[in-house]
Amino acid sequence: MSDTQPLVLVVEDSEPIRTAFTILLEESGYTVAAAPTGADAVRLAGGERTPDLVLLDLGLPDISGIEVARSIKGNPATRDIPVVALTGRDDDGSREALLAAGCSAFLLKPVDTQALIRALPGYIANTGPG
Amino acid sequence: MTDLRLTIHGGHEAEARLREVLAREGFRIVEPPRAEAADLPALVVEPAGHAHGVPREYARRIEELERTILELRNLDVAKSQFLTNVSHELRTPLTAIVTYGEILRDGMLGEITPRQREAIESMIGSCRQLLSMIEEILTYARTNAQAISIQPSDFDVDDVVRTVHDMNASLIERKSLTFDTDLAGDLPRAHADRDKVAHVLGNLIGNAIDFTPDGGHVQVMARRSRADRTWIEVVVEDSGIGIDPVHHELIFQEFAQVDASRARIHHGTGLGLAIARQFVRLHGGRIWVESGLGEGSRFFFTLPSVEAANGAAASGSAAA
Repeated sequence: MSDTQPLVLVVEDSEPIRTAFTILLEESGYTVAAAPTGADAVRLAGGERTPDLVLLDLGLPDISGIEVARSIKGNPATRDIPVVALTGRDDDGSREALLAAGCSAFLLKPVDTQALIRALPGYIANTGPG
Repeated sequence: MTDLRLTIHGGHEAEARLREVLAREGFRIVEPPRAEAADLPALVVEPAGHAHGVPREYARRIEELERTILELRNLDVAKSQFLTNVSHELRTPLTAIVTYGEILRDGMLGEITPRQREAIESMIGSCRQLLSMIEEILTYARTNAQAISIQPSDFDVDDVVRTVHDMNASLIERKSLTFDTDLAGDLPRAHADRDKVAHVLGNLIGNAIDFTPDGGHVQVMARRSRADRTWIEVVVEDSGIGIDPVHHELIFQEFAQVDASRARIHHGTGLGLAIARQFVRLHGGRIWVESGLGEGSRFFFTLPSVEAANGAAASGSAAA
C-alpha cells in the first residue's frame, strides 16, 4: 500500500519541525523519509527507493542546503528528483543560487501547510527546474 | 611635538563622528596626501593654532578617542551578531508551533469543534505576528551591521505592488478597505533590489492598512520623479488617522512609536520605517511623509529606474 504513495524526503535538522512535516505529509497520503542532516539527505536520496520529492531546509548542521541540492542534482541517479527549498527570509541572495543548484521552487518558512499540500502534486509532476 | 596620524577602522560613519569630536575639541584636520590614503581612511590632525605639531597630551587624548570609537564599533557589531543569533533561535520553535497548529486546525489528528478551531486559529495568528516581528528585528540587526547589500535587477513596479497587495489581501478584505493602484503610463522599469523594494512597499502598505479605520481607502501610485525623470517616485496614500507634522522625522528613527497607547493597539517593533529608510538609502533614494492629524498620510520614496542605471553607467558615476 505504502509503495503506491509518493515518497517525500524531508530534510530538516529541527526535530519538532521534522516530526510536524512527517505527520502533515503522512496524513495527506505521502510516505515520508526524514533526514536530520545533509549527509543523511544525500544518502537517503540515493537509497533503495528513490524519493519522488525532496523538501530541503537550508540551515543544516553539517553541509549547507545548497550543497545538498547540488549533490543530489549532480548525481545521475538522483538528478531527476525535484527539490523544493525551505528558506528563511534572511537567506540573503540565495534565490539565484538555489535555482542554479537545480531547486524547482523555494518556500518561505513557516510554510502555509495547506498551500504546500495543494502544491505537492505539481512539484512532483515537474521533474526538473522550470 | 608629535606628528599624529589617525587611522580609522569602521568606515565613513566612524570617520564622520571622529571628525565631529575633533572639531569640537579644537583640532584642525589636515587631509592626508592622496597616496597615503589609498588603503584605509586616515586623518592627519593638529590643534588649531599649533602649526608645528600636536602637543603630547593632545596626542594621548586623540588616541584615547580613537580607541573608544573602535571599542564602540566592535560592541555594535557584537550586539548585532547577538541579535541575529537570538532571532534564529527564536524562529525555529515558533515555526514548529505554527506547523503543528495548522495540522490540528485542519483536523489531521482528529475532528475538532468550531470553538477549538477558533482557539487554534488565534494561536497560529499570534505566532505568525510574533514571527514577523522577529523577522523585523533580524532585518534591522543585519542592516545595522551593514551585512546587507543591494542586488539590483530590472522589474516592473506594478509587479511588486501586486505581490504586496496579494500578501495583504485578506486584511484588506477584513477591514473592507478599497485598494487602488495608479501607475503612470510612461513609467520605466525599476533597476533596484526587488526584495528590498517589496519590503519597503510591504511596510508602507502594512502601515496604511493598520492605521486606516474600517471602510477606508489605500492607494499606491508610481510616476517619474519630478526632480529627476530617470528616477521613480512611489506614493502610498491612506485615509487613516494621519501623523502630526512634528513627528514626521521621528517616525523614521528606530524604536520610535509616536505614542505608547497607539503602539499597544497597533503592535509593532518600531523598526519598520527605520528599515524602510535604510533600504531606500542603500539605493541612493529618499523617503518622506506628507500628513497631518486626521488627514490621512502620503508616504513617498524614490528608486532608480533602468534609465537612471544606464545614465550612471554611461557617465561612470553613481546616481544621487
